[in-house]
Amino acid sequence: MDRSTVILLPDKFRDPNYFEEIIDIKDDVLTGARTLDLSKIAFIEPYSMISLLLLGKLYLKNRGDRLKLINIPIPIHQYLDRMDFFGNGLFVTDEMLSEKMLYKRSAFSKSVIEITEIPNKERESIKVIREIIALFRKRSSNILKYRMTDNIIEYFVTVISELCQNIYEHSLDSGFLAMQTYSMGKENIVRLVISDSGIGIRKSFENTASVSYDSTADLIEKAITMPISSKREFGYGLCQVNSIVKMLNGILFIRSEDAYVTTLYHKKTQGSAVMFSKNELSRFSGTQVSITLSS
Amino acid sequence: MIINLTKISAEMKITVPDLITRQMGRAFFERIQDKMKAMHEDETLLLDFEKVSVVDSSFIDELIIKLIRLSKISPSPFFIKLKNISEAVEINIDLVFDSYSSYNKDKMAVITEGICRNHAYFIGHLDEKERDILDYLRINKTATADEIGKFMGTSARELHRALEELYSMRLIRKSIQSQYFPV
Repeated sequence: MDRSTVILLPDKFRDPNYFEEIIDIKDDVLTGARTLDLSKIAFIEPYSMISLLLLGKLYLKNRGDRLKLINIPIPIHQYLDRMDFFGNGLFVTDEMLSEKMLYKRSAFSKSVIEITEIPNKERESIKVIREIIALFRKRSSNILKYRMTDNIIEYFVTVISELCQNIYEHSLDSGFLAMQTYSMGKENIVRLVISDSGIGIRKSFENTASVSYDSTADLIEKAITMPISSKREFGYGLCQVNSIVKMLNGILFIRSEDAYVTTLYHKKTQGSAVMFSKNELSRFSGTQVSITLSS
Repeated sequence: MIINLTKISAEMKITVPDLITRQMGRAFFERIQDKMKAMHEDETLLLDFEKVSVVDSSFIDELIIKLIRLSKISPSPFFIKLKNISEAVEINIDLVFDSYSSYNKDKMAVITEGICRNHAYFIGHLDEKERDILDYLRINKTATADEIGKFMGTSARELHRALEELYSMRLIRKSIQSQYFPV
């Protein structure tokens, strides 16, 4: 094997902020790599997993070939398999797990919604959204076992519906959803991720003269606090999502192209800022959204 | 006219409890508009949310907001009342109205049959005076501006603007003799 085509990925798959370091080496992957070495990865959560999937999708789109994954640590391989990561056919690997090493899909382990593709056509997408919501309702007592409060299932139904609709309405691409509850140390985390590699928020507002902004992060902030829309007079979706995350004292993270905005409602104290943003990040196609509840 | 959303769902071969997506909202609006041809002027359209757990903001935008707008500008104006709304439905409608009002500096509210989280019979943001008027009319069924003014310790003249505003929002009824009624 030509070692120059292998990129050793650092162990930065723990949350959206860590994953920025992977995005920083994205251009090397897209232009020079054929193979990604995952041997250093000790943990991977849904946002990083879906972002890696988007990277594979971009690679396939740009290079007409699939990225190869090697040296996948067994627990990571088991997890990726359990989440149907390989089912999308965006990566190749020679490393196979035997049947007895695969995670069983028992009712107990159903604290996840496996990676599901959201098509970019309205009719197909609506069918998929309804299926995801039906599955979420079925598994919600497991997924939300640490955070079961009044109306929380209904809040997540709303959030899933709104964010998935944004994919086919605005991104001009298909996207992915995954959801999981997991523990890190003493913290129990519920994370919902809905991401695409489409045109991004800024481009979708390109022809909307009524909305002014001075950076991508500024536009994202406006989209989550005001009912602006690139397609119609008003758009309530992201405002609704933000309000729900606020009611749940959660964390909303939205990354689009070269910027992100995050709202840390779980750390809110009187008078403190909850919204943080960053511009001029490494460019990554599309819009990635993560909603996190921790307890 | 009573419109049971669960029955419309069944007609469209959609299973409740979730009424979601813009496309579904549009389809409901078209069906309801078709049924509304049988309504007469100033009739109340009672939207029954029995068995509905969630409506998302896209559905609210395509159905409820469109109906509220239509109730004011239709050649045959009408009133709207919501029935059997779950807490999540109420919260989502309230959040949409809140976004709309804060962005447009324009009020949006709708009457409900049951009591809401704001301890009143409407969803939306009304000021105290408007809220008191709605309460008074709900209990007393009919009143003149003078009668409401006496109850609130203010003159009919001072109340005039609030009453007209509520009437233009289709939240109260008015007779040609300037009697006011609840929806």
